[in-house]
Amino acid sequence: MTKIFTMIALFVCSLLSAQTLYEKGMGNALTVWKSGKSAEASALFERIATVEKNNWLPNYYVAFINTVEAFKAEDKAKIPAYLDKAQKALDEAAIISPNNAEIMVVQAMIYTGWIVQDPMTNGMKYSNKAMEQYYKAQVIAPNNPRVVSCKAEFEIGGAQWTGADVKSLCKDMERAIKLYADFKPESPFHPTWGLERAQENLKSCSK
Amino acid sequence: MKTNLQAFLTANRLVFTLCVFLFPAAVFSQTTISGKVTDQKNNPLAGVNIYIEGTYDGATTTETGDFSFETTTTGNQVMVVSYLAFETLNLPVVIENYQSQTIKLKASVNTLDAVYISAGTFEAGEKARVSVLKPLDIVTTAGSAGDIVGALQTLPGTQTVGESGRLFVRGGESDETQTFVDGLRVAQPYGASANNLPTRGRFSPFLFSGISFSTGGYSAEYGDALSSVLLLNTIEEPEQEQTDISLMTVGLGLGNTQKWNKSSLSVNVAYIDLSPYQAAIPQNVKWNRPFQSLSGETVYRYKFNSGMLKMYAAFDGSRFDLNQESINAPFVSRVDLKNNNFYYNASYKGKFGSNWQIISGLSYGLGDTKTKVDTDRISSTEHSSHLKLKLKKSFSDRVKVSFGGDYFITKYDEDFNKEFGSGYDSNIGAVYGEADIFFSKEFAAKAGVRISNNDLLHQTAVSPRASLAYKVSGSSQLSLAYGIFEQAPKQDYLKYNDRFENEKASHYILNYQYTADKRTLRAELYYKKYNDLVKYDTDMAMYNSNFANDGFGYAKGLDLFWRDGKSVKFLEYWLSYSYIDSKRDYRNYVSEVTPGFIAKQNISLVGKYFILDWKSQVGISHSFNTGRPYNDPNQTQFMSRKTKTYNNLSVNWAYLLTQQKILYFSISNVMGTKNIYNYEYSNTPDAEGVYSRRAITPSADRFFFVGFFWTISQDKKKNQLDNL
Repeated sequence: MTKIFTMIALFVCSLLSAQTLYEKGMGNALTVWKSGKSAEASALFERIATVEKNNWLPNYYVAFINTVEAFKAEDKAKIPAYLDKAQKALDEAAIISPNNAEIMVVQAMIYTGWIVQDPMTNGMKYSNKAMEQYYKAQVIAPNNPRVVSCKAEFEIGGAQWTGADVKSLCKDMERAIKLYADFKPESPFHPTWGLERAQENLKSCSK
Repeated sequence: MKTNLQAFLTANRLVFTLCVFLFPAAVFSQTTISGKVTDQKNNPLAGVNIYIEGTYDGATTTETGDFSFETTTTGNQVMVVSYLAFETLNLPVVIENYQSQTIKLKASVNTLDAVYISAGTFEAGEKARVSVLKPLDIVTTAGSAGDIVGALQTLPGTQTVGESGRLFVRGGESDETQTFVDGLRVAQPYGASANNLPTRGRFSPFLFSGISFSTGGYSAEYGDALSSVLLLNTIEEPEQEQTDISLMTVGLGLGNTQKWNKSSLSVNVAYIDLSPYQAAIPQNVKWNRPFQSLSGETVYRYKFNSGMLKMYAAFDGSRFDLNQESINAPFVSRVDLKNNNFYYNASYKGKFGSNWQIISGLSYGLGDTKTKVDTDRISSTEHSSHLKLKLKKSFSDRVKVSFGGDYFITKYDEDFNKEFGSGYDSNIGAVYGEADIFFSKEFAAKAGVRISNNDLLHQTAVSPRASLAYKVSGSSQLSLAYGIFEQAPKQDYLKYNDRFENEKASHYILNYQYTADKRTLRAELYYKKYNDLVKYDTDMAMYNSNFANDGFGYAKGLDLFWRDGKSVKFLEYWLSYSYIDSKRDYRNYVSEVTPGFIAKQNISLVGKYFILDWKSQVGISHSFNTGRPYNDPNQTQFMSRKTKTYNNLSVNWAYLLTQQKILYFSISNVMGTKNIYNYEYSNTPDAEGVYSRRAITPSADRFFFVGFFWTISQDKKKNQLDNL
């Protein structure tokens, strides 16, 4: 009896401490990332992902951080390495949480990264793939601000080739900014990013 | 009730109390793990992620490559060392015995800047690491008219043989190239044609995403091709559901793609009729019934969790009727041709076990041609099948081994006025094995062997293949390739005789490749030796010819390719140059000479320019080659004369009416150059003792094309630019 009790106690303890470790780890990783140390933040999320096998968030952040790094990369030759890493992590996240609009947004961003890397080769193919992700995401979460703003940004980016109506896209951007104000993440660690970028995009809209 | 609650609360408090005691206890037994991470050259790596698998315990290396962290784990653990563009290392460690150490990481060979085997092969498509042609190029190259083969003819190593339209690679005849769709052989890759009229490849570029064209030294996976293999891969996953409508001066086309959760289907039909066009534009040939064809292709794809099934089917029925001139006939002879062709293949590609890959499939092709030449009737039927199984095992990123087998069945029957029959049944079984090894990010090798048995010729052939690649600098590399290639003699001979041996070729290739941002330079030197070529002693290969396998020949030369998409914004262009020195003593030749399809120098220049303000893409392509040899019986020396040089300047213009509607114009041979492919001489001299001749020329000097292409799709963006 005592044995069983001790074991239950130990189990509950480990759960409790794991919970705190997760929260501490995620909080820490997000802080490190905000301070601009993206490689380190990516490493931290990667470690959390190996423990939290049923949680899509750590892998999501590994994917998101590396995608953003790909866009920032000054050396274009490095882009594929970042995007490959992002894709691998995002695949893991998508297995844990299928039909997730947040994951689809990052997937579309990875495709956009490939377009940036080599527009002549990848433009046609990946712009269709990216749009497909945005359409899917729109069906699942029509009022998710990231879905609305990222889709609009992508379409504005391609407008010079596609002749898309920029005015109505700018209205979408406006709507997204309102949606950001009302957006309530499920937990403190769920994605909340995108407002600043949407505001910047709206500014260039009015130019 | 109350007591229960109290008991629960007490227990709960106890749990917390215990936790307070147990948790710090764990904290106390910490071990420090430290060390340094470097690359293979001992340079410290900063930002490397090191951790104990399944825990939060880990660290990131500093600028000096040093790391240090504490872990509460004990006993046997796995330490993961991961870093961008390097191979992830899983180190088994015993925490208690851990000693500070320096860990060396290997650069990943899966990166874009790693060495790869480039000798002989041109890649097109998004999967290729260095794409010489991009997916759009196949179709937007001026003068190619949407023909895959037409676009490939702008690459070095190929010959422009206008009267044939087929691929002639490095001194080889067109049937020395084998075509494969999704790894399975296509026995009849070209449409039917009459003497000296060019044909087209059967495949619409619309359904293919990757093309690999080898001009020599290719893998042991492929055989029964002396010169070259052309590998076409169908699209794995269409981007979206859409309908394509094409209205052209030469016919109509309709395409539709449907997508479901795990599967998709594309169907494409085209009706081509050249009568209105040929009524409007004067022709050098008298057509009684201009070319007419109805063709369709379909691809079905199903995605399994760890694999993909693809089925491809194509049907093509065509006919034409024309008056063919010959210097040796007082009257024109009327040629009426009807051809039906069906091709089907099914392939499965999947993963299983630990890093195994399986590729298997089968193909079946039926070619049926009925030709009437004046009162003579010739009909031929070819059934050809291919069964394939290939297994590939990745031992690591650096070592991969593949092996497999092929079985080719060909049954050919021809019948002349229902009086004379000829034909053959041939079965070829082959096995092969090949290893791909990366010694480092800079040095890779591939070696393999193919063993095949042809039951018709009662012959077993062993063909070794090998290639090496070495990265000279960040953007350039050298490759070497060697191989022995065997092929059964062509249908024209096999149908009369089966006492042959395989024809043989050995390839030696040295390749240099430079790739930097949007620029590619390739230079390739090659030497190819031919043995055991078929010879015969009549004017044409006939049932009563005496055949022998004692022909021989060689081809050597230099191929240069330069592509630049950087120097001028919105302009992409490439330049190909080939120099070839090749001679053969085969067929009914009296000595070793350069055959009539080989021009010493070939140059192609292709350019595409996007004009944003006009919503247009304009393209030009110019091909030039020096004269081709021909035999003039008025001369004492065999094959000693040469035609004049060949020039063809083609232009095209694609205009986007709206995002989904495109107008397309193209003209080939804008300058109207009077090109001469070859001469036909009379068999007997005239009264003055001179053999008279007739020039073999294109059926029209220029070719005009106008088309309207309309795409209907969900996102209203996709268009058919890539179909042009």
